[in-house]
Amino acid sequence: MCRLSKRAVFLITLLLAATFIIVGCGGGDAVTEHKSEENVKVGFVYIGSPGDAGWTYAHDQGRLYLEANLPYVVTETVENVSDADAEWVLTQLAERGNHVIFATSFGFMDPVINVAEKYPNVIFMHCSGYRTADNATNYFGRIYQPRYLSGIVAGMTTESNLIGYVAAYPIPEVIRGINAFTLGVRSVNPEAKVRVVWTHTWYDPAKEKDAAEALLDAGADVIAQHQDTPGPQQAAQEKGVYSIGYNSDMSTMAPQAVLTSVVWNWGPYYVRTVEAVRNGTWDNAPYWGSMADGIVDLAPFGPMVSDEIKEKVAREKERLLSGEWDVFYGPIYDQNGELKVAEGEALTDAEMLEMSWFVQGVEGTIPN
Amino acid sequence: MSGLRPVAFPWRLERSLVPSPAMSVLVPVCSVVLALLAGAVFLAFTGRDPWFLYGEMFSGVFGTRYGLFETVVKAIPLMIAGLGVGLAFRMRLWNIGGEGQLYMGACAATWVALTFPDQPAWFLLPGMFAAAAVGGGVWGLLPAIPRAYLGVNEIITTLMLNYVAILWVDYLVYGPWRDPAGFNFPLTARFSPEAILPTLGDSRIHAGLLVGLTLALILYVVLYRTRWGYEIRVVGDSPGAARYAGINIGRNILLVMLASGVICGLAGMVEVSGLAHRLQPGFSPGYGYTAIIIAWLARLNPLTVILVAFLFGGLQVGGYIVQTNGVPATMVAMLQGLVLFFVLAGEVLLKYRFRRVRDPRAEVKKRDR
Amino acid sequence: MVETEFLVEMRQVSKRFPGVLANDRVDLALRPGEIHVLLGENGSGKSTLMNILAGLYRPDEGEIYVGGRQVSLRSPRDAIEAGIGMVHQHFKLVDIFTVAENVILGDRNIPFFPNRRRIERHIAGLSERYGLRVDPQVRVWQLSVGERQRVEILKMLYRGCRVLILDEPTAVLTPGEARELFRNLREMADRGQAVVVITHKLQEVMEIADRVTVLRRGRAVAMLERGDFTARDLAWLMVGRDVVFQVKKPPSERGEIVLELRDVHALSDFGRPGLRGVSLTVHAGEILGVAGVAGNGQRELAEVVTGLRPVRAGSIHLAGCNITNVGVRRVIDYGVGYIPEDRLGAGLVPGLGTVDNLILKDYRRPEFRRGPFLDRRRSRERALERVKRFDVRLSDLEAPVKLLSGGNLQRLLLAREISANPSLIVAVYPVRGLDVGATEDVHRMLLEQRSAGTAILLISEDLDEIFKLSDRIAVLFEGAVTGLLSVDWTDPEKIGLLMMGERPAEEAVP
Repeated sequence: MCRLSKRAVFLITLLLAATFIIVGCGGGDAVTEHKSEENVKVGFVYIGSPGDAGWTYAHDQGRLYLEANLPYVVTETVENVSDADAEWVLTQLAERGNHVIFATSFGFMDPVINVAEKYPNVIFMHCSGYRTADNATNYFGRIYQPRYLSGIVAGMTTESNLIGYVAAYPIPEVIRGINAFTLGVRSVNPEAKVRVVWTHTWYDPAKEKDAAEALLDAGADVIAQHQDTPGPQQAAQEKGVYSIGYNSDMSTMAPQAVLTSVVWNWGPYYVRTVEAVRNGTWDNAPYWGSMADGIVDLAPFGPMVSDEIKEKVAREKERLLSGEWDVFYGPIYDQNGELKVAEGEALTDAEMLEMSWFVQGVEGTIPN
Repeated sequence: MSGLRPVAFPWRLERSLVPSPAMSVLVPVCSVVLALLAGAVFLAFTGRDPWFLYGEMFSGVFGTRYGLFETVVKAIPLMIAGLGVGLAFRMRLWNIGGEGQLYMGACAATWVALTFPDQPAWFLLPGMFAAAAVGGGVWGLLPAIPRAYLGVNEIITTLMLNYVAILWVDYLVYGPWRDPAGFNFPLTARFSPEAILPTLGDSRIHAGLLVGLTLALILYVVLYRTRWGYEIRVVGDSPGAARYAGINIGRNILLVMLASGVICGLAGMVEVSGLAHRLQPGFSPGYGYTAIIIAWLARLNPLTVILVAFLFGGLQVGGYIVQTNGVPATMVAMLQGLVLFFVLAGEVLLKYRFRRVRDPRAEVKKRDR
Repeated sequence: MVETEFLVEMRQVSKRFPGVLANDRVDLALRPGEIHVLLGENGSGKSTLMNILAGLYRPDEGEIYVGGRQVSLRSPRDAIEAGIGMVHQHFKLVDIFTVAENVILGDRNIPFFPNRRRIERHIAGLSERYGLRVDPQVRVWQLSVGERQRVEILKMLYRGCRVLILDEPTAVLTPGEARELFRNLREMADRGQAVVVITHKLQEVMEIADRVTVLRRGRAVAMLERGDFTARDLAWLMVGRDVVFQVKKPPSERGEIVLELRDVHALSDFGRPGLRGVSLTVHAGEILGVAGVAGNGQRELAEVVTGLRPVRAGSIHLAGCNITNVGVRRVIDYGVGYIPEDRLGAGLVPGLGTVDNLILKDYRRPEFRRGPFLDRRRSRERALERVKRFDVRLSDLEAPVKLLSGGNLQRLLLAREISANPSLIVAVYPVRGLDVGATEDVHRMLLEQRSAGTAILLISEDLDEIFKLSDRIAVLFEGAVTGLLSVDWTDPEKIGLLMMGERPAEEAVP
């Protein structure tokens, strides 16, 4: 035992010595060497990998758009960051001299606010959360609007009147999407039902595909989804039925199955944000962009979508873009048939952000 | 008929009973160096400059205050959980349930923090530690009971209980414990400042480090200086000898699994109270599993666990640094895998030595003479 | 290439384990068509030798020839390819598989999708030919022990083994099953296989052996053809026929009764009756030698006395106190020292150092206690003193004891057990695997204890040892004491007969 502790002491000494030598030689300059007066450095922290063809892919497309449109922008990315590691990764990006940092997962919220406090000169942008600080805010888009439109497509396409919805977690964002989609479906097909399956995962292609297959076996002939991968689309294609993609245009993954996709279009917003930071016009007001802003949209229709559907969607899109109407305008009934939003009323943003009930036409429960 | 080769190869790999002390330091060090060299070849093939990247990595991990601090931060839960599962391994109890015990510890500590938000720190922090100890301890004890009395394999039961614990925490944060002000997101409310472990200055290093170091010291003393530790070492080394000496094996199984669970539970507590400041799903990216590797690499020696935990912390931190230099995450994971692979291979090699065997034909001739 | 009449030949094979020379330049040749019995006490090296032939161990020295060609058997698969298969004492079958699936398990020549029908037909054919009745479609968990053994044999025959080794095959069988097995083995031999049976039961040798090789302490001491040996010869060869060397034991005062067993019954590990009504006494200052062929209740006897094995009926008394089923710890506290059969597996903790091993039974005692802590300085000081007094040769008090030689291990074990001043010492095969010097040391220490008034229960298969040390001799046969004789009134011949279960004229026991 004496031997062991001696060895331990030896190793600790070695480690400390190495540390001090390296600190003595190389401290400091690594932090600043990339800084340049003209450039704006922008960091991105991703929960997944751009190869996921979903959520992170959409953000990375936005980053590439940013680089392409603002020549003075230099970007850095860190992928596959767990919630537990986020604070350190954000710190590192701040230390490396990034001026703006986009953190694109809900779980990064507390770390963003913590790090923002320590780096007051860096602007932190957190996607999908709700906390803010002087130099940090959150941003998101009203994805429920294109979801409503995609519901119209699904409602007019289904023959079995059963539509499957593969959903990640029972959080307000996902519930809102299911509700908007269902309202779209029922606006054109009051007979149709939307059946929800929870996967309790954001990124598990196999599990998500399994969930979609279960819905298909139950008789669904259109599959919509709220996940970070195109697993459900592949399931639909293999069964020879239709699906609605999410995050990015998924028609390349399953060309015969994808009617349309509900897509994020982060690029223009990223450009506007970075320009505002550079011009000194940035403020920390949370951003919840609408389809009129272009941050969310519907991808081009697949060849199987009829002109009748296209025209109907175009008319409804017109109504949404005009701003005179939104998805959660009354009358809206919940699953039990109770009137939740009366005729002539509408849900406030706060009510939408906390949504924890299903509208009429949804088959499924919200676990809690 | 591949079996009918005549004996010709003059070297034989055979088990050596104890590695020499020099080798047990040299081999791991060489393993890491070799892993980095192998990684360098790979990086060079993909058109990157390995030496620049390694330079960045080392100066990032050791050369910056926040890099060094973060290594410590990462090491804290790994260290504590490593000590916990390592204690069970000492007695040949394969506690794969560190992750679940960690979750239950965090869960119980959170309960205290959420139930008594207005209490002062002198009440809250000890209360949370105690609750975490109970939560983790119960989770460790549950599989120990069927193991001690019925011989039910604890590998399976501890592993299964991990899923139960994780789903239990999911249930709580999606349901009853959801922060009312959190827009229905799966998070508990933030702990009151009184329920948060003090940190070192404005860094993220929290008092969990002291917990880890103290635990390592305590465990070392318990194992090598106390009668109970003596019993653990005897049972772990030779159950036959333990029976022979009249040591109560069943009781020790219960005690050791309890202690192992308690320690892992504390790891969960310091993680939520020191870092996350609330309970949320996925707060542990598998610390309880990484702890298993750490405990073995440390050869189950509590003091060595500290060092290995720092190595793992550094590996994590270094990985992200390499990423910001444009190396994709998958390649980083591969580099980390290489280091582990080489270190583990070195460990195996340490147990063997080459021995030259006499040529059997020469032997025959000699006898004929 | 040399013409050979042998299927397999082992020449000058040696194998060492830490502290033990398990095989010492053994020669063994197997002919086609013979049943060759390997006879020897437990620990005489039979199983080691056969494990070498079956590819489980590699010899340190020596050569193996199959069909006249030298081979290197690196794994059981190599051995099977060379036509050598072994049925171990513990079967290696998968319970939930069928017989056929077990038979083909691990066979490399089976295609990815085996033709079940054809394989089952093949197996049925084999079992018919050799009379090994078993249904290929039945799952193994439904089979009796005897049937499982047949599956193991079929497994080897299916792979085309010409040499079949069985390690103590009758240990788990009923007498009826054993008879059937012997018929099957004879059938195989008649069809040109070589069958090796490992055993220590003399009547089995007499029943089936065409040739017998006797091993003692790792060496092949004799190879005899059928007709050239009697049971008595074999008993002699097995336990050592060197002229009994009567050392002058110092006369000793036989004192009070220390240990008394009254009609003790206990089960063996297999749940069979291990001890059937054993009664005996050991007095202070006396060595009671227990002779017998291993497997006749020796282990059970040692373990009931030391509290490790529950007593089913009867009682055990130590210096007048009833110690029946009081547990190991209490028995230790009553002053019973125990030198177990398995030094490194039970008596010592191989991974711990000398200091830690010397306190294995004392660490709870007040003198080593400082609160919850162990008094390390005290235990170290005492270890130094013990090591010196008992002449244990070692370089480092903290180094794991598994590095020590067999003799030093035993000296260390004795140092601990003797210096606890026991009133009774139970010693099981105390010199097995030791060299001459160490053997002498151990014997001297035991005799010194006897002179000091300790009662000693010595269990051994080695008649030399029994006669050299004992004051009285008890013979164990099938779990019962078949004779209890004073050493001065008997001779090894009588004991040998008793060991084989033959009952000579009753002798008076003083």
